[in-house]
Amino acid sequence: MIGLGQELRLFLRQRLAGPTLALLAVLSAISIGAGMLEIRRQTEAIARIQPLQAAEEAAVAAWVSREGDAGNAAYYTFHATWDRPSALAFAALGQRDVAPYVLRVRALALESQIHEGESYNAELALPGRFDWAFVLTFLAPLILIVLLHDLISSEREAGRLQALQAAGGRTGLWVRRAGLRLGLVFVAVAAPLALGAGMSGAKAAEVLAVLTAAGFYLAFWTLVCVGVGALGRSSVANGAVLAATWVVLTLVLPALAHMVINRANPVRQGVELTLAQREAVHAGWDKPKDATLSAFFKVHPEWRNTPPVTSGFHWKWYYAFQHLGDLSVADQVRAYRRGLESRDAWTARVGLFLPAVGVQTALHRMAGTDLAAQLAYQDRIRAFHERLRRFYYPYIFNETPFRKGDFGKAPRWAESG
Amino acid sequence: MSPVLRIATNELRVLARARVAQLAIALVVALSAVAALTAITQGQESQEIRSRFQAQADREFDGQPARHPHRMVHYGHFVFRPLPALAGFDPGVDAFTGSTLFLEGHRQNSANFGDVRQSSLLVRFGQLTPAFVIQALGPLVLIFLGFGAIARERDSGLLRLHFAQGVRAGQVVLGKAAALSVVAGLILAPALIALAWLTVFAGAVPAAALMLAAGYAAYLLVWVLATTSISALAPSSRTALASLVAAWALSAILAPRLATDIALLAAPQPTRLETDIAIQRDLKKIGDSHNPDDPYFTAFRASVLKTYGVARVEDLPVNYRGLIAMEGERLTSALFETYAERQFADQKRQSGLALALGGVSPTLAVRSLSMAASGTDLEGHRRFLRQAEAYRYAIVQRLNRLQAERLTYSDDSNRNSDPEAGRRVRIDPGAWRQTPDFVYRPASTAESLAASTPGLLLLGAWLALAGGLAWAASRRLERAGS
Amino acid sequence: MQCYIIVDRALAAGEQTDMPDPSSAPPAIEIRDLCVNRGGAAVLKTLQLTVNPGEVYALLGGNGAGKSTTLAVLMGFVRPVSGSARVTGLNTASEPEAVRRRIGYLPETVALYETLSAYENIAYFLGLSGVRPTRADMDAALDAAGLQTEARTRRTAGFSKGMRQKVAIAMALLREVPVLLLDEPTTGLDPVATADFNRLVGGLRARGAAILMVTHDLLGAADCADRIGVLARGGIVEEAPARDGLDLLALHRRFGEAAAG
Repeated sequence: MIGLGQELRLFLRQRLAGPTLALLAVLSAISIGAGMLEIRRQTEAIARIQPLQAAEEAAVAAWVSREGDAGNAAYYTFHATWDRPSALAFAALGQRDVAPYVLRVRALALESQIHEGESYNAELALPGRFDWAFVLTFLAPLILIVLLHDLISSEREAGRLQALQAAGGRTGLWVRRAGLRLGLVFVAVAAPLALGAGMSGAKAAEVLAVLTAAGFYLAFWTLVCVGVGALGRSSVANGAVLAATWVVLTLVLPALAHMVINRANPVRQGVELTLAQREAVHAGWDKPKDATLSAFFKVHPEWRNTPPVTSGFHWKWYYAFQHLGDLSVADQVRAYRRGLESRDAWTARVGLFLPAVGVQTALHRMAGTDLAAQLAYQDRIRAFHERLRRFYYPYIFNETPFRKGDFGKAPRWAESG
Repeated sequence: MSPVLRIATNELRVLARARVAQLAIALVVALSAVAALTAITQGQESQEIRSRFQAQADREFDGQPARHPHRMVHYGHFVFRPLPALAGFDPGVDAFTGSTLFLEGHRQNSANFGDVRQSSLLVRFGQLTPAFVIQALGPLVLIFLGFGAIARERDSGLLRLHFAQGVRAGQVVLGKAAALSVVAGLILAPALIALAWLTVFAGAVPAAALMLAAGYAAYLLVWVLATTSISALAPSSRTALASLVAAWALSAILAPRLATDIALLAAPQPTRLETDIAIQRDLKKIGDSHNPDDPYFTAFRASVLKTYGVARVEDLPVNYRGLIAMEGERLTSALFETYAERQFADQKRQSGLALALGGVSPTLAVRSLSMAASGTDLEGHRRFLRQAEAYRYAIVQRLNRLQAERLTYSDDSNRNSDPEAGRRVRIDPGAWRQTPDFVYRPASTAESLAASTPGLLLLGAWLALAGGLAWAASRRLERAGS
Repeated sequence: MQCYIIVDRALAAGEQTDMPDPSSAPPAIEIRDLCVNRGGAAVLKTLQLTVNPGEVYALLGGNGAGKSTTLAVLMGFVRPVSGSARVTGLNTASEPEAVRRRIGYLPETVALYETLSAYENIAYFLGLSGVRPTRADMDAALDAAGLQTEARTRRTAGFSKGMRQKVAIAMALLREVPVLLLDEPTTGLDPVATADFNRLVGGLRARGAAILMVTHDLLGAADCADRIGVLARGGIVEEAPARDGLDLLALHRRFGEAAAG
């Protein structure tokens, strides 16, 4: 420990060391602040829509409950769903800035509603956000490179190397020095995160997991820096080699991987199922009603013995072919989903070889802001939509009047974990 | 041969013999070539796919059976945003904006199935396009090859040897910069070939391609001058490398993200959900077309009756339900337009703020120019949205007009109870085939050049700054003498 | 100005040449009342130094005495506070580029492009000053300087100090400069190489060049120099003509005292 204190003093006496670390700490803090602001904005938006949504429902209830037509109620009532950010989302914003976190659905065919996008400024979304994951993945290694590239070579260039090696234990000294720098960088990056996590109410176990991932990532870069330094070249050469390594590992290879993965896993099914679903739903207008309803009763036999549909327009028949339209594209939905998951899985595999990708994958998983989280939100919407349909079907198929009180009985969006 | 030329050719000769330089240039040229190839083929493929989907949507619309026109309004139509020819070079916001837009009555949908929601987080690491290679990697290669051009020679005494031959500092700086410019040209070469290919074979606008070439050349020239100047000004080659890499990290990596966050903080945008609710609210304030006792529509009915000079809607020569549909669509579309324009204005303000921060980063300036000239900037997407909305309004109103003119009011009112009326309200499918197809009008040359101008001006300012820095470096080198 | 190569061949052929009489020519290097500040402190105070054509002047001094500064002033890299430094009549402060064209400068560590050969280095640097030597010219100069033939096409990466110096001297020969400034040329050379070098300096002197040599090597200086000067406390504190019979030991001791004092 005495050695560490001395090393710390030596370290701080270098001209650029302190300011460099301070810069990293400042950037880290700013990134945490920016992330927390964004999450607060999203949370406030979720809170803002509650009264708006209630007012909307009341307005619809006002005119629908006059006639009490359940079909109208199901057609005109929009139900709100939302995806509340997790406690750690501020650290890695992931897809939350480009995917919707609030979405309204009706009891009609779901496939035409669920792929709706959010309105955001695409030019600004292009580079990505300045969040903590970015600082850790891209900037912290650069700082480590600055602090570690001349660990051995500066002593050699100053002529002190042989004296040092003669005096102190060889590996012990370098481990202490590298370890000190690694520790300082880790603290500069971890302290703001811990602070932010405390303010966001994140669980200690989660924070620990994030910090462990960060620690491993920084340790990897420390090893790379020390390894290059041990090759015995000049400080300048080390710096150049390490900077080139950083570019290749964090910019070039991930971009190549992205291109390869996307080409190997085409996901055209998304557009295809949208086109097909529209065809199926609107073909329902022309199909004979008996055919449609019998197909529907195969799926929902509980409504078979309800009052039959007379010719012309009837809500039962309408909702029947809406749902059948959804079912007709179920295979493509699954295929599309599999394609997306395959892309994600391959990215995780790439993350085993490219630490930058690996740490980003881990962070976004822990923060719940990756593609899987988006798909999970969509799954929850699907389940909610199912509950909605099952809520409205009794009124529609039994031709029960739908009054103001019934609006209050409609399923509410539950915030599962 | 002038000393500047001698110094330049000698520097190139030394670089050519340096293994590091060979490796770096080979790598970046290879990357640039790979990026160009994949971008071109991928651009072609995407365009084919979109055309195919558009053809399918057109076929499906035209092939609909006899239908009630209002059913067709809800059947809707799909339009697919076509890719401009230069999107292969710089896809810009293409991955972030959906390419599939569903047009229907009473609703303005979002463009969906953008790549960003269909890809993993790798998409945020950067896409391997010629634009990315030149914007992010080109300067780095120039830095690695050029940071020691003067600094190392000063450290080793070679610089003094130059002065001993009677060479001036300015000539040294110019010579080294000239040599580095040749390297920049090498880096740019695959991209220029790609641009030429796109112009000749893919129908890109030559003026835009020239603008791109000029912009990227200016961008790399800024880095050439900055690298040479810092090499001359820094006390050691190590400091030169560190400062240049820091400048690059700030410019290419940090500034774009900081600009995003600052712009979004200063001018936030509401979510789609809130916009929808707000539109519904405003609509209800004006009038509710589904409510028969609504005051607005009562007044509307009165004015229609007066225009045609009849007492009851049943006596109108046209289908009153069709007229209501047209009026309802007109109201909603006017609201959509108001909100959309407001959103566009918000986004423009955001983007403008972000670009203003291009004063800190030449990468932001060249990115703005690149996307504008390629037609893949936000303005290009907005153009698509505006044209798609205009098209949507046109075909919906066309269908509503068919409902007003071809159907009788009594048939329309009784279509569900009377099977004969139900048959009569379905008009023949020839009407669908006569509906015009969506033809996207891309930005004219003048428009895309005008959009590129801010980026170009910023780059010009950076070029002047870099030139000034080079001049100051020459003066300092001269005075320092060694 | 004589062409040293032609003179060299002429000498080799045993001919007589028209050489200017060194004593009657104006001084090639003339430093008067030179005051130079470096880093705020006065390094040279009213320095007087004169070197005539065909003369070798060895300048000794302790570390930090101002020897390198003197050379820097003569090269026009440093401007004096007061006083003047003239090379072949040109003022170094007002016409540095013209002065540099008259000087052949041999730094302590001769820097060359490591990945270029001796020929390429020479051709490049001479090209900068406007001279376009042919291969034969370069061979003649390298012969005079003493660099082996097989080393001339190799990259200079592995060259010893002695070999680098030979390349630099060849460059000076090809440029036909009247003044040569040598900065610690024999430091780090083994005795054989030192002897070679001293012979070379003698040859250059014979061609009429004025040579100012900064060195630590008293013995070597005494061997090849005409005059020895000791630089201390900003000026020349001791100057003696080098000739046989010079009491080197006494000079060595006085040198130590002068440098210390």
